[in-house]
Amino acid sequence: MIFGFGGNSIRINLKTQDIQRIPLENRFAREWLGGRGFISKILYDEVPREADPLGPENKLIVTPGVLSGHLAPTGSKCCFGAISPLSNGHGDSTVGGHFGPELKFAGYDLLIIEEIADKPVYLFIEDDRVEIRDAAKYWGLGSIEAEKLFKEDLGEDFEIAIIGPAGENLVKFACVSHDYGRQAGRCGIGAVMGSKRVKAIAVRGTRSLPTYDVKGTLDFTSAIIKRTAVHPNMAPWQKYGTAMFVGWANEHGVYPTHNFQTTFFDRYAGIDGQPLVDKLLVSNKACFGCWMNCGKYSKVQLPGKPVVFVEGPEYETGALCGGNCGFDRIEDVAYNNWVCDNTGIDSMSGGGIVAFGMECYEKGLITREQLEGHELRWGNVDDFEHFVDMIIYRRGIGDWFADGVVTAASRIGQGAEHFAVQVKGQGMSGYDGRGAPAMLLSYMTADIGAHHNRAWTITMDEDLGKNVIRGKAKVVVYLQHIRPFFDTASCCRLFWGEVDVTAEEHIDAIRLVTGWSDYTLDEAMRLSDRIWNLNRAHYLERNGGPGRKFDYPNARFYEESIPTGPSKGSKLSLDDLNIMLDEYYEARGWGKNGNPSREVLADLDLHDVIANLDKIGMLAELTTPLPQVRGERYKPKAF
Amino acid sequence: MTLYLKAGGMLREYLQPDVDVFTRRVECTEGLSLRDILISIGIRPVHVAMAFSGDRLIPLSHVPSDGETITLRPPVQGG
Repeated sequence: MIFGFGGNSIRINLKTQDIQRIPLENRFAREWLGGRGFISKILYDEVPREADPLGPENKLIVTPGVLSGHLAPTGSKCCFGAISPLSNGHGDSTVGGHFGPELKFAGYDLLIIEEIADKPVYLFIEDDRVEIRDAAKYWGLGSIEAEKLFKEDLGEDFEIAIIGPAGENLVKFACVSHDYGRQAGRCGIGAVMGSKRVKAIAVRGTRSLPTYDVKGTLDFTSAIIKRTAVHPNMAPWQKYGTAMFVGWANEHGVYPTHNFQTTFFDRYAGIDGQPLVDKLLVSNKACFGCWMNCGKYSKVQLPGKPVVFVEGPEYETGALCGGNCGFDRIEDVAYNNWVCDNTGIDSMSGGGIVAFGMECYEKGLITREQLEGHELRWGNVDDFEHFVDMIIYRRGIGDWFADGVVTAASRIGQGAEHFAVQVKGQGMSGYDGRGAPAMLLSYMTADIGAHHNRAWTITMDEDLGKNVIRGKAKVVVYLQHIRPFFDTASCCRLFWGEVDVTAEEHIDAIRLVTGWSDYTLDEAMRLSDRIWNLNRAHYLERNGGPGRKFDYPNARFYEESIPTGPSKGSKLSLDDLNIMLDEYYEARGWGKNGNPSREVLADLDLHDVIANLDKIGMLAELTTPLPQVRGERYKPKAF
Repeated sequence: MTLYLKAGGMLREYLQPDVDVFTRRVECTEGLSLRDILISIGIRPVHVAMAFSGDRLIPLSHVPSDGETITLRPPVQGG
């Protein structure tokens, strides 16, 4: 028994139907902690470098980390990982809700799903019973309706992780859904699940989770509940969730508008958090063990459309399916949110790629004929829904878009690559980096492509100057270590960022549940550094090098200035981006080409990686001393 | 007049609370907007995503009254 963990992993071969239950090793658990850590290590060690992300050799990995299922604090998360069909590198994405805890209550910390089933299946897990079952009945259904049917068939006690038609049809930004509206959204993990013909994973667990110090954990959690309940940020979080930041992002000129053509949407008041609460909110919704309830469960009825219920819209959806597509009514944004959720696409990538299509249509690069007689106008719900349908079922040019924005731009040609918003194939999150250079650097260097959860820097950009490019890279590195730590430990980052539960207190929680009395924040940050370097090396081993060539966004971000709003006139050049990358690589202990160095890999005890990179000529040699501490914490400390 | 400002997270470090761990008492001139008051005590409006008086959302153009308590919420750090 390992305190803190379910204690087992399962390796499921879909082709042979072989199911192996393997006890989790304490050394492996401590070294990689779970979640994103387990995923990085297993993908690096087990997936052949030439493996097609949608082929049999890729592996789908599902893992709730060390804190998932515990009450200390908000251990609700579960991480889904695979080689991403978007980036062709390491991919992981984390979902809240109840799935991760349930998996641990069944006794499992790790599912490794291999090969491809010969027909649609779902995985049934109920404590010791692990079965591969026929899923013909559910195949083809939307994520939300299929989850409901699973619950009717198996019982409400089962927690379901599921894909929609997008995953079944290998749309490269398909997500894994859970709890009627939460998603492991990014990296196209849903497409990998679909490629294996796995419609869903249904789990029910009835076991206790071994906890080293039960009383200590309860006392610790009680104290945190009492403290955060009166925290000034708690009530606003409960009332509005993240949706309120549509207004703030506009007022500070970072809000993506009309496919990132500008960063201010003058009609944002109609899609901010207030209209969400006033017009659509049914109830708040919480993940396992959370007393914040920041989820917003909403009801929408548009003329001529069915009544739909959706969790959200959250800020990212409010940005990318909102102003970025020209929508100025919260009802429309919520409906778009439901369309994405039920079809099973990530609403961030989905909003981003529809916006790209809208700009193509506006510029005359795609025609009404190619759109099956429809148009693709800014702010038109019918157009949005029809275009998503073309993508999901890969009809006509929808097939190009289903393979991601890079492929779509390449097929369209005529300069469309210029405004195909992405880094490493991953569509950008809902902040424009031209008015926040460190945010752009965060996107450029994130291991999974342009995603905000690896590092979020905008208030630092405002503090130090919107147009200041130097001196920010070390903070980006620090944030890339601290923020993904929560995905490794599988707990909610919001309690750290928003209500002052410190990173050190999360380490206390790990000590209490595991009994690792000597576990420190330094050890956790070193793990984050190891994961970052491992993922970078993995990316290079799969895609070639040098690393720098993959670290640029599309040209809009270094050739166009922002035309309107509070960031009007802000512009970055390619030289600016290179200066930021130079600083970043130096802060990481990488070579100027963006490849990890022998020195930093040795310092992190990644000796097998040194050998692998050396073999293919991609090991950098440092010309400056290796920074002993990678990254620098920005004041205020609450970052 | 006297105003009570409350904040947590990143904002707490800028606010420098003196009444309790979250609250700062501010003496200010009547008629100033919340935005002006924040600037006068060294808090940049960019660090305030929203403000509440009780349960009511208020804009930074709000003109506080004597004795009012206003809660400031920082921008979400990604989400």
